[in-house]
Amino acid sequence: MGDLALNIAATGIAVQQVGMDTVAQNLANANTPGYVRESPDIVTNPGGDAAGIGDGARVATITQAGNALLFTNVQQTQAALSQSTALQQVLSGVQAAFPEPSQSGLAAQLAGFWQAWDAIAQNPSALAPRTEVVDLAQNLATSFNQAATALTNLQDNAATQLSQTVSQANTLLSEIAQLNVQVTATEGAGAPAGALIDQRNTLVQQLAQATGAVARPMPDGTVTVAVGGITLVQGSFADTLQVTGNAGATEVRATTSGVALPASGGTVAGLLAAVNQYLPAYQAQLDTAANALASTVNGQLALGYTAAGTSGASLPLFIGTGAAGLAVNPQLVADPQQIAASATATLPDATNDGANAQAMAELSNSVTGPDQAYRSLIQGMGAQLQAVNNQVQAQTSVANAAQQNLQAAAGVSPDQEMVAMLAYQQAYEASAKVVSAAQAAVQALLAAT
Amino acid sequence: MTDLSPMPILYTPTIIANQLVANIVADQNQQAALETQISTGNRVNVPSDDPAQAANILQLQSGLARAQQYASNASDGLGWLSLGTSTLNQVLAALQQARQTVLSVSSATLTGQPAALQGLATQIDGVRQELVQLSNTLYGGQAIFAGTGNVSQAYAADGTYLGGGSAPTRTVAPGVQVPIAVTGPAVFGTGASGLLGDSPGNVGVLAQISADLRTGTSASLQQVMTTDLANLDSAISQVESQAAVLGANYQRMQAFSQQATDAQQALQTELSGVQSTDMPLAITQLTQAQNSYQAALWAASRVTQDSLVQFLG
Repeated sequence: MGDLALNIAATGIAVQQVGMDTVAQNLANANTPGYVRESPDIVTNPGGDAAGIGDGARVATITQAGNALLFTNVQQTQAALSQSTALQQVLSGVQAAFPEPSQSGLAAQLAGFWQAWDAIAQNPSALAPRTEVVDLAQNLATSFNQAATALTNLQDNAATQLSQTVSQANTLLSEIAQLNVQVTATEGAGAPAGALIDQRNTLVQQLAQATGAVARPMPDGTVTVAVGGITLVQGSFADTLQVTGNAGATEVRATTSGVALPASGGTVAGLLAAVNQYLPAYQAQLDTAANALASTVNGQLALGYTAAGTSGASLPLFIGTGAAGLAVNPQLVADPQQIAASATATLPDATNDGANAQAMAELSNSVTGPDQAYRSLIQGMGAQLQAVNNQVQAQTSVANAAQQNLQAAAGVSPDQEMVAMLAYQQAYEASAKVVSAAQAAVQALLAAT
Repeated sequence: MTDLSPMPILYTPTIIANQLVANIVADQNQQAALETQISTGNRVNVPSDDPAQAANILQLQSGLARAQQYASNASDGLGWLSLGTSTLNQVLAALQQARQTVLSVSSATLTGQPAALQGLATQIDGVRQELVQLSNTLYGGQAIFAGTGNVSQAYAADGTYLGGGSAPTRTVAPGVQVPIAVTGPAVFGTGASGLLGDSPGNVGVLAQISADLRTGTSASLQQVMTTDLANLDSAISQVESQAAVLGANYQRMQAFSQQATDAQQALQTELSGVQSTDMPLAITQLTQAQNSYQAALWAASRVTQDSLVQFLG
């Protein structure tokens, strides 16, 4: 009997020792990102003797507490959050390029510009009010140019960020494939691959944030990574991504299959939306406003005449098209008296006539004028950014919740570990007591004989 | 700020720390937004704060600028109209003086009195010269009776009208233009029945009176007392009617000036209502956010202090 009890107690000591080791490992990694809590999977050793007592316990395997569904959920919510955050950053940049409402933005400049025409009407033959109109027109043209440049810069920055994200994603894809190989090899050799799996999970999560990728665990221990149904990593194979197409029609394609990735979350999807959809739309709206300014002003000037009776049809104030090309006619800069402020061509009636300038000032409320177009740009942009801000807020909350659910399943709670440690410790001490009791029994037997 | 995320089953220190950080960040963001509102005094600082109101503010600002311009136009117009009215009053006074002179003419006593007639004719000439001078009255360097046709002078010394076009106007409300002057021909008439005359053939009423006085015959003096006087009277009534036009426009202009000022105030009030921070509300909210922030910080300082570890020997 002594042999059996000692053997059983010895397995007990060994098993509890492993249990305490896992507690130590868990506590050591309590704050390690991506770490998944371990626990020993303890099973009974079947007994071989006639009494059927059994042969102690052993640790069958060390299991990780991960939950594949919760982990996928984290990837998906993080991907959605990254998509909104990427778009939010671009749209915030757009908003910064249009400082409204203010006393100095384009809207205020437009208002000042229209009022300056009434100043010409108050004294049509004076040079000063005409020079002021030309100056204000130049300021407006410069402001439109600057706003257009700001949008172009944002477009360029977003495109750069897109290629950086894609090249980062390519690195992640090849690393995940490598880890797939290592996990298979390690597990094939019968060793636990927990550390490698944790590392791979961290990379998968980064990839999800970048591209909206979702990883599916396979029976052989590898993960298969796909974006919107397009497989990018399978076993040891890793595809690469590349950015194709020009501004407005940019795509991210998988190199091997040549298929364009659908927008399924991640920074890439947010940036693609900004580059293809939002920024070109703002640029177009800004162009509309700039063209409306040129056509409204030039159209009214064409109806008028200079003080010398020359038609304003060939004396436009604004030249060039689009917000980037808007400029002031150098002919009028050189000689502001060429502004067609008069409503009549007859001389001498046109000499001091400002009726056309008066009509111009009234165009500030024109529904086809630049003010209306600019206001709708500001309102539309503000509404879109507001929506994205709200999305980011909501998705942050959702992503945090998913992260917490995963943490609750996979994270380390010191209290829980302490309780486990107490259990292991007591069982260890008790097994040790069995060893000493068995020894005492043997010694008592020896002394008696 | 309460976090509305569903509660996980097991709280690990990492979960608690993450939640605290999320709450602290949310409190900080709210504080920053409220501080911006309070320090700028504006509720809408960027379009995304309130897109519809941002567009509304831009429209109100544009409307306010327009109303200010209407007020400026009206004030300029009032200057023109008040100078025009006072000038026409001076014209009328001079014409009344000429009329008195004409009324003092009596064929019986003055026939054959060249010196006396010469004196009367000189008086009439003086009135005509005064009228030419008054007709060239300038407002801000612009001749107010020259229409749009000339900047600096309405009449030449010989009575030739140098202006042209119609009386200038000022825009004082959307689509409303009020004339701010009357043209020279409307006030002083044209041709032979005009006060100033415009050619050697049409010397005008006053020069005709002066010439008839100088002629000095009984017939010419009779002419002065009948035809010339009648012409003078009709010219005076024409000036009076134009003075009335100016007066009426002055009143309209004043009404529009008041209206533009009222509109400015109304728009300003509306703009403040839309744009200004509700201070009591914002400050109360800021205090709440600060309290919540401090509580979150305190909680963060307490995190992981209590654990089973402390109670195990």
